Amino acid sequence: MPGLPTESNAVVALSAPDVCRPSPSSALEQEVVDLFEQWRNPLLRYLLGSSLAVPDSEDIIQETFLALFQHLRRGKSRENLRGWLFRVAHNLALKKHHRNRRDVKNIPEPMTAGTDSFIDSFIDPAPNPEDQLATSQTQQRILAVVRALPEQNRWCLYLRAEGLRYREIAEVLNMSLGAVSLALERSLAHIARASQR
Amino acid sequence: MLSEESHLSDQELLQAVDGELSARDAGRVHSHLVACWACRARQQEIETSIGEFIRMHRRNLDPRIPSADGPRALLKAQLSQLAAPPRMHWRISWALAAAACVLALSAYLIGLNWPWRSPERVVAVMVPNPSLTPGATVLLDRSEVCMESNTKNKAVPVALQRRVFDEYGMRSAAPGAYEVDYLITPALGGADDIHNLWPQAYTATVWNAQVKDALEDHLRDLVCAGQLDLATAQREIATNWIEAYKKYFHTDRPLTHAQAN
Repeated sequence: MPGLPTESNAVVALSAPDVCRPSPSSALEQEVVDLFEQWRNPLLRYLLGSSLAVPDSEDIIQETFLALFQHLRRGKSRENLRGWLFRVAHNLALKKHHRNRRDVKNIPEPMTAGTDSFIDSFIDPAPNPEDQLATSQTQQRILAVVRALPEQNRWCLYLRAEGLRYREIAEVLNMSLGAVSLALERSLAHIARASQR
Repeated sequence: MLSEESHLSDQELLQAVDGELSARDAGRVHSHLVACWACRARQQEIETSIGEFIRMHRRNLDPRIPSADGPRALLKAQLSQLAAPPRMHWRISWALAAAACVLALSAYLIGLNWPWRSPERVVAVMVPNPSLTPGATVLLDRSEVCMESNTKNKAVPVALQRRVFDEYGMRSAAPGAYEVDYLITPALGGADDIHNLWPQAYTATVWNAQVKDALEDHLRDLVCAGQLDLATAQREIATNWIEAYKKYFHTDRPLTHAQAN
């Protein structure tokens, strides 16, 4: 029948809004891959530090960088992409923890002091024989102290360890600058006591 | 010269180490440290604690970080897919296709017309014919589906509605008796395509268009809350939306509007 849309016409009509988007370029893909190279390990350390398992953490990182691609493709702000990446990954991690808590079977084994997984994950694979015992004992104490910190303080510490400035940490965790400063100071005071014992 | 009482706080010392003080405060702290051994010693202790923590942190976590090769390749593949222009793709399950073939063969063998092409049967049909309306989706990811602008169904062009009636052998159907509805709603990534459209009878009193709308809203909420995979939502609604409704609302009968919300 004349005038009736064909199947291929329907596809074209469907795609029309997408054609109006900024055209995706391989340069943008490459930029996102370059940022992945730069920030994947720091993000992974941050997520693993929050007790997520490696596969869950890798999934979150994939989702974070795909979101970054969409963010940049839509021409949104390029200011402080490092903070943006950590904020998105942090929020996805919170969701994942929430889901894991609902499904108890999926909760990864928490690394608490005194368990084998705690000690196994902590011990240096190639320790210096002379310092091994003393070092491992001190570091076990520090790890135990860090894990006993309030969640927010621990996140501050992990984000600072990945090089984020106080303002970036405040934005990722939705805290005030003063609260970030106080959290770091208190956490380091606990660590100092653990390492001097 | 600063007195004993005016020593720097640990927070000031830490902020100085971290370069977080304003230029004015940094100058004040520096002047104090030059003069005060006690505060310098305290600052060194803070730096030592930072060193101890970083060593523990890296030794604990770095060995657990796998190679980036696999994740990098996966990211590149996903980026290529995202960057490609949206294209149609069909989510016809093999089981669904096989069931449709068996039905067609049975109808042929017993000498009946294709049941959905019979006007009498069409009136009673509440789920679409899977061979004519298997469901079709546009390649969108969750974030695109969950954009606020993607909540309303687009109107189906009249010409396309006529094609749907033709497909279902309902050329003489009264236009006001049916709504040409999306099987997979565009709010869930459904395509504006004939394979995703079917004539839903207004005469259906129980499993009607309003009930299906409630299911679509509910599935979209679950998808956007990260509680349901988008592909699963599309498959469930395409396979049998009534069964999907029963499953996701935990009921055998449609809920009232208030209950569904």
